[in-house]
Amino acid sequence: MQDLQKIVDFITRSNWLILLLGGMIGLVMTPMKFALGIILGGLIVAVNFHLLKGTLKKMCHPDTVSEKGRSIVGNVLVKYYIRFAISGFLIFLLISKHIVHPVGLLAGLSVVVASVFLATALELKKIFFKEAV
Amino acid sequence: MEFLVGSVWAAGLAIGIAAFGCGIGQGLGLNGAMAGISRNPEAAGKIQVNMLIGLALIESLCIYALVVAMILLFVHPAIAPAVKALGGH
Repeated sequence: MQDLQKIVDFITRSNWLILLLGGMIGLVMTPMKFALGIILGGLIVAVNFHLLKGTLKKMCHPDTVSEKGRSIVGNVLVKYYIRFAISGFLIFLLISKHIVHPVGLLAGLSVVVASVFLATALELKKIFFKEAV
Repeated sequence: MEFLVGSVWAAGLAIGIAAFGCGIGQGLGLNGAMAGISRNPEAAGKIQVNMLIGLALIESLCIYALVVAMILLFVHPAIAPAVKALGGH
């Protein structure tokens, strides 16, 4: 359990680190619109991840599950659609007003996925390293 | 003109199918997790952590589809000339 909690903490921290690193690299090496895409896209998904974490922590408590039963699924899905609608509106504004470069935005939106892949790669490395010893 | 219609169709279908699929995926995952927690409340922490990662990845897929739809509608290089040809701005 502690190992799993560590993975989530690692992903949460690495989200911000990758966003910071990507934003800095973007600001130095790419045009302003591209860098802005990375930063704003990363911010949207990092905040989304935090909200999802909060929702699941609240809803997946055994007491809440036994009390509310299956209605939790609907509750979480409604929150997912609300979050998605707000993210969608923000992305719509960013793209339709040409505030950011779409490829930069895609790169920024991949921050959480990159963190999850990084965590997976590190865990796999640990497993292989253990097996080798 | 055909290109514009095709783009609008593709954008609508892209986000529609993605949101539909992601909703089903999240629902199935949550349903399994809830069943697991109610059967074994001590495993709630483990289930929650795994579910968080899974749901985050599913959501990312839907957001990618949304961005692709937006690109098709607003920033595709051929959109501006097509709209201009129709008399828009």
